[in-house]
Amino acid sequence: MQARPLYIPVILGTTRQGRMSSNVAKLVAEEVSKQAEVETDLIDIATLPLPTNDAGEAIKHVDFSSKMDRADGLVVVAPEYNHGYSGLLKHVLDSCLKEYVHKAVGIVGVSAGPFGGARVIQNLLPVMRELGLVTIFWDVNFSTVQNVFDTGGKLLEAAYIRRIDKFLKELIWMSRTLRYGRENISI
Amino acid sequence: MQSAKMKCPYCGAEMNHHADKVFPSERSQGTAETVFNGSIVELHSCTVCGARAARVVG
Repeated sequence: MQARPLYIPVILGTTRQGRMSSNVAKLVAEEVSKQAEVETDLIDIATLPLPTNDAGEAIKHVDFSSKMDRADGLVVVAPEYNHGYSGLLKHVLDSCLKEYVHKAVGIVGVSAGPFGGARVIQNLLPVMRELGLVTIFWDVNFSTVQNVFDTGGKLLEAAYIRRIDKFLKELIWMSRTLRYGRENISI
Repeated sequence: MQSAKMKCPYCGAEMNHHADKVFPSERSQGTAETVFNGSIVELHSCTVCGARAARVVG
């Protein structure tokens, strides 16, 4: 048993009005919070007051930086916009760097079409690598997300719970393993 | 060459040096930045409380 619980926040990676990914991020954060010895927060990038007249670590947000520093792993919920990720998600991710190194990340893709954000996930992988994050080999793909939740945000397809659980098991293993490495294995 | 162990700023324990990374910077000046267009930063994690710290090399 570990003395300190893992901390795995969930980042909602879009600011668009009416975003369907909000339901996804809430669901995933709820499932993370059910895991033993894991703490989480839902970080909505729409609430981070980052300026857009500069970029990178120059616009670091104290609370976001602190959460990334504390994190052992991350879940990024990324809707697919024109085959790519939201520009503001990249803007927020770029505001930190050393906070991420040797930490695990899992990506949840979301799309209105049938591919479940597969392309946004592929586009995010090299970004994650350059940030120093370690990607896991499980994703969750929310296809035709408008049909997955009802108007109140209730999940309509129970199969997603099993998929999220499998994804989280892998992410937690990687987070725990990398924490051990960060704290005990020298480069 | 192995640099001296960092002490954790929170609990004082010896930290583990787990990574080096070049941090791009257009703002600061330094010899290393001339070569790498950035600074080499060592990242350390505390073996006791898990806190993290970084220091610029060179």
